[in-house]
Amino acid sequence: MPRSLRVLITYLLLILLALFMMGPFLWLLSVSLMPGRNVFANPPAILPTFIAFDNYVQVWNFMNFPRYILNTVIITLLGVVFNIILSCLTAYPLAAFRFKGRNLVFTLLISTMIIPSATAMIVHYLTIQAFQLGNTFFGVVLPAAVSVFNIFLMRQTFLGIPADIRDSGKMDGASELRIFIQLVMPLVKPGIAVIGLLEVMAFWNNFLWPIVVLDDPEKYPLAAALTYLNGQFSYNFGWIAAGTMISVLPIILVFLFTQKYYMEGIAGAIKG
Amino acid sequence: MYKGFRSESFTAWAFMAPGLLFLAVFTFWPIIYGVPLSLTDYSVIAETNYVGLDNFTRAFQDHNFLISLWNSLVYVLIVPVIQIISILMAILVNSRIPGVKMFRAAYYIPVVTSMVAVALIWSWLLGNNGVVNYLLLKAGIISEQVSWLSTSSTALYVLMFITMWKGLGYYMMLYLAGLQGIPADLYEAARVDGAGPLRLIVHVTLPLLRPHILFCTLISVMGAIRVFDEVYILTKGGPGTSTLTSSVYIFQKGLEQFNFGYASALGLIVSVMVGALSVLVFRLNRKGGVNSY
Repeated sequence: MPRSLRVLITYLLLILLALFMMGPFLWLLSVSLMPGRNVFANPPAILPTFIAFDNYVQVWNFMNFPRYILNTVIITLLGVVFNIILSCLTAYPLAAFRFKGRNLVFTLLISTMIIPSATAMIVHYLTIQAFQLGNTFFGVVLPAAVSVFNIFLMRQTFLGIPADIRDSGKMDGASELRIFIQLVMPLVKPGIAVIGLLEVMAFWNNFLWPIVVLDDPEKYPLAAALTYLNGQFSYNFGWIAAGTMISVLPIILVFLFTQKYYMEGIAGAIKG
Repeated sequence: MYKGFRSESFTAWAFMAPGLLFLAVFTFWPIIYGVPLSLTDYSVIAETNYVGLDNFTRAFQDHNFLISLWNSLVYVLIVPVIQIISILMAILVNSRIPGVKMFRAAYYIPVVTSMVAVALIWSWLLGNNGVVNYLLLKAGIISEQVSWLSTSSTALYVLMFITMWKGLGYYMMLYLAGLQGIPADLYEAARVDGAGPLRLIVHVTLPLLRPHILFCTLISVMGAIRVFDEVYILTKGGPGTSTLTSSVYIFQKGLEQFNFGYASALGLIVSVMVGALSVLVFRLNRKGGVNSY
């Protein structure tokens, strides 16, 4: 087969697949820009007859979006900061130190990945209530404040740092904490960026746990508020479509601007 | 030397203490506490009693629970499908042609979008007057509208399809990483020996992707059994019990009906099942050998 034909077929397949993967989003975008209710038309409207931003304006005025966005940003920031600090602190000794119990810690961590705790959410609920963190953002964030996955990712990153760095710091008389913060941490910025991004997406999209913990819908993050919108206005497609677009656009933009790091990070999660 | 080692050990634990504390409370504790909890009738409404193995005997007579286990097992059928499609996708986006990175990103977007949004979009696309019915009718594949999500015989498969659609990009990236780790000389050598594209895939690509296949199979098996969000948002287990998966049932028993004791017992049973399935996957891939990061 001549090369040009092969390239042509490859593009054709790529485009078909892109339609399959992106089609639903493009259609959502299209619905959100349709005036009135022509989504209910039969045959279904796939492209708007003319573009209008009414749905966005109306749903923005109806729902307290700034409030929900603020909630989401707070929850996401808290989650990301906790995860970065805790997983770096935990992963660093596992990569750089020799100490008794290292293998024990490692085995314990791995075992949590193999045994999924279907009951975790129920116990988390009881724990959060016991700490009196129900209906608080901390209650939303703390159960996911550190993850085994992030610890492994960071451990792998720390393993790539030459031991000389730590030794030279010691020679200069720096404390372990100082070596960690001033010498080691700056070298693992790409790794931090990766777990940061992973957690931004996880916390931004989280909907169920916030609903369980938060009694007050005013505290809901965007994804949770969306289920609320859907329950109330299942008849108004345009509004829900616009609301959904508002909630997914930020995360898609974050992804598009950071995809290089993000994808390298995902790829680095497994070493064959 | 010994003293240095001991102080290093102290520093190590000091570093890990905060993270381990959180893991202890939110990762280990739920696993541990689930066991005693499953032996009680703990709920918020009445006094708690020790009931021994009652919850477990009850579970195996609970028709709905058994159905939910079965549905979860059916859900696992998407695992091989995901592997095949995402490997093919990875091979496709591994082509060295201009613009291919754009396609990679496009395929990944469902992964980063919230399940709430994805579920909403698909529920409309799959509605009676939705785009899917329209296109299938036009193409002559179906002869009348199908209520995909509210028909018992189709709902579970539709949910499986949505789960797969959302996850494909993720597995594609993992396989792509694997493909890029395969040295080009291997392909050259095989080509020199006269291997065509298909034989290259079967004899070079797949064997070298083995560790990735094992890893992806494992996480997708666990994901399939744990599946919750899409089912909960779209069908809540219905119609009837046709999409009741074990996670949804446990959630209903635990956080909707507040039968914490019983729900914990169910959770334990499912955990054992997942553990067994993971071991099975390992066995089937014994030669592969997974590298824990």
